[in-house]
Amino acid sequence: MNYWQRILQVAHREHRIIRNRPLYFMGSVGVIVFCAIFYLTFLDAGLPHDIPIGLVDEDNSTTSRNFCQQLDATQLGEVVYFDSFSSAREELIRGNISAVCMIPEGMNEDIQAFRQPKITFYINGLYFVSGALAWKDLLTMVNLTNGAVQRQVFRAKGYNDDQIMGLIRPIDVDTHQIGNVTTNYNYYLTSILLPGILEMIVILVFIYSLGAELKFSTSRHLLDTSGHSIVTALAGKLLVWTVIFSLIGFILVMLLYHWMHFPMSGKIFNMFIAMFLMILASEAVAIFIIEMLPVPRLALSIGALYSVLGLSLSGFTLPIEAMPPYIQGLAAMFPLRHYYLFYVQEAIFGAGFAGWWKEVVWLLCFLFVPIFGLKRLKMAYIHQNYPKE
Amino acid sequence: MANKGYIKTWFSNWWDVFSHELKDIFSDGGVLLIFFVAGLAYPLLYNLVYLNGILSDTPIAVVDDAACPDSRRFIREIDATREVEVAARCVNMAEAERLMQERKVNGIVYFPKDFGEKLAHNETAKLSLYADMSSFLYYKNAMIATNFVMLHEIGQIQMERYSLAGMTEQEASQVIKPLGYEDNNPYNRAFDYSIFLISAILMIIIQQTMFYGMSLLVGTRKERNRNFSSLPAHYGKYGIMRIVLGRGGAYWLLYLGIGMYIAFIVPAIFGLPQRGQFLDVLTLLLFFITDCVFFSMTWCTLITRRESVFLLFLAISPICLFLTGCSWPTVAFPKFWKVFSYIFPSTFGVQGYINLNTAGGDISAAGFQLRTMVIQTIIYFLLACASINLENWVTRHMDTIREKRDDLAQKVGIDREEDARIIKGV
Repeated sequence: MNYWQRILQVAHREHRIIRNRPLYFMGSVGVIVFCAIFYLTFLDAGLPHDIPIGLVDEDNSTTSRNFCQQLDATQLGEVVYFDSFSSAREELIRGNISAVCMIPEGMNEDIQAFRQPKITFYINGLYFVSGALAWKDLLTMVNLTNGAVQRQVFRAKGYNDDQIMGLIRPIDVDTHQIGNVTTNYNYYLTSILLPGILEMIVILVFIYSLGAELKFSTSRHLLDTSGHSIVTALAGKLLVWTVIFSLIGFILVMLLYHWMHFPMSGKIFNMFIAMFLMILASEAVAIFIIEMLPVPRLALSIGALYSVLGLSLSGFTLPIEAMPPYIQGLAAMFPLRHYYLFYVQEAIFGAGFAGWWKEVVWLLCFLFVPIFGLKRLKMAYIHQNYPKE
Repeated sequence: MANKGYIKTWFSNWWDVFSHELKDIFSDGGVLLIFFVAGLAYPLLYNLVYLNGILSDTPIAVVDDAACPDSRRFIREIDATREVEVAARCVNMAEAERLMQERKVNGIVYFPKDFGEKLAHNETAKLSLYADMSSFLYYKNAMIATNFVMLHEIGQIQMERYSLAGMTEQEASQVIKPLGYEDNNPYNRAFDYSIFLISAILMIIIQQTMFYGMSLLVGTRKERNRNFSSLPAHYGKYGIMRIVLGRGGAYWLLYLGIGMYIAFIVPAIFGLPQRGQFLDVLTLLLFFITDCVFFSMTWCTLITRRESVFLLFLAISPICLFLTGCSWPTVAFPKFWKVFSYIFPSTFGVQGYINLNTAGGDISAAGFQLRTMVIQTIIYFLLACASINLENWVTRHMDTIREKRDDLAQKVGIDREEDARIIKGV
């Protein structure tokens, strides 16, 4: 048999293994389908709305009631009324409301008399998104109320509406959100979380596939099938798994950018490249881990720790710049980080090859990592001299 | 007297199961790795990653086509904010866009040519902000900085304009801000990422490491064709209660230590807020750990092999984090996932921990969470008992199940013997 036939033999064998153990199917397709359904439906709203804001109205005037109604009418907020500050504060600590807004007694009179009353807000920043949005909503309402009072004053003085606009709004900021016009959390998080889960699946499943040979003492037969070449053995396994993972990855890209219409400034085809390279790089990482630790359970535990950390260190939530310098360097060790940077260039800026070629080089560098341990893995496969569990 | 004898036997049986379980845990390297290396080191690692928690001085580029005193003052003020730093002054938008694409800046502020003129004519002058949405924190920083500087500038300009409109300085300042505000963010002053995220992650580490570790152990036993109720053989005659409580007690004791370390010592090392009363947080922790023990016991029934827990359930960890509601708010959960979140102790453990430890409420602030955890514990306890029955049944009927499986394989067209020959060579 020549080299190519042996690779096919190993691939054929791998196919039989996968068919025999449902775990492989559940661990790859099952997990990604569940996660895709979860994240896409969970974050479907894009941006939360009707966030509960506690309101203590000690004024009970037309102005204060108007303020409450308008706050309630905003898309972001929903007003929950409280009789006293202490009861509102309790609900704030419990996390049932995201903010408390105190309207002081005599606010209406004080505004009319220009005694500059103060509204006080308390925000619970521990529930992050809702806290930040409630804060934004309250600030907007105060500014709008100020504008309304000013408009009344100038109308009374006989100015027309155009002049008034110039007086009360001398500067305006026109915000453009590049790559995510509607501040949609689904677009933002799911675009990286699902590839992150896929990276996790690739690493774990491939470590398991290689480790199972040791665990069930079938590694010598694997080497027999591959003509005693570890490279051929890996190539055969990689052939099968790369096809499966790439298929999952391509469906994922199509799902996100074609069927769900996530924003994409560049070409969907280029995201296929990113996905394919990330899968190859993750397989390389998996091979490296099992080479260094030819004990299936230890290798899987390390693979698990590594891939969970990859989600944080890709830097798509808290940017890498905000992490300590010695952590920043580590980020380059995760394929997902490079996938994310590729995604930013392609999907957000539409920069094309000129934007992401460096990430391609990085991801290709991962492919050289397993070379160092090939011999070690082959020895482990022959001697089976490591603990099997 | 027979009654007393029963109690005595109960306890001695319980003690057997309990000590056997502890012995098993400490003689299994994989479980120890999960409990002690992951359980102890992971909280530290996450703290290091999120150590600073706040993104400051996001670099932005400025394109000033107006080049008037007002725009220059605006730029200086943006630069002075904590959130943003003016990293580049570009001659045109093309240059700024290139810098943003190269990720040297994460936002662009653009002043059009007529900015100064419009201000001089008492009209509304517009400036544009282009924010990089690749991380929402960039956007948040750029937006907060420009908006606050804008509001400040508006105040300044209004002073001038209102005095031109014939108001005294006193009148003008009153009209500019008829309604003031004071904002407090008492629990997380600067919207620090680490404070909210770490509080949640800590509790999730407790639940997940316990579940993974227990599953490893259960998987090993099943591979050796035993389950925990028939371990060793003479345990078969014991009551289910003794086995569940005996095994549970072992994990409970271990996690009392690991949990206290995660909930009290880790935040102290990294200076995270610990505003709660020690006893309140401890009470919550005890409820949470008890809940986690029975939760893990129930779900690890699904694990049939040693390593399979990672392949099947690792991806559930980030999902648990979302289901706590610490980032995406609970009010915005779709109904189905809200109900789904009741499956996990972490949903309530995290909320309770945030309310007690981080926000500093008293025990009533976690009242709802404690009550639901008690209900959860009871349900999971019953389920854990039921799952032991189920496992006993499965062990007894192993041969029948194997036959059924082979029948099914035959029907689908899988020849297991042929497969075994190809896979193992025998």
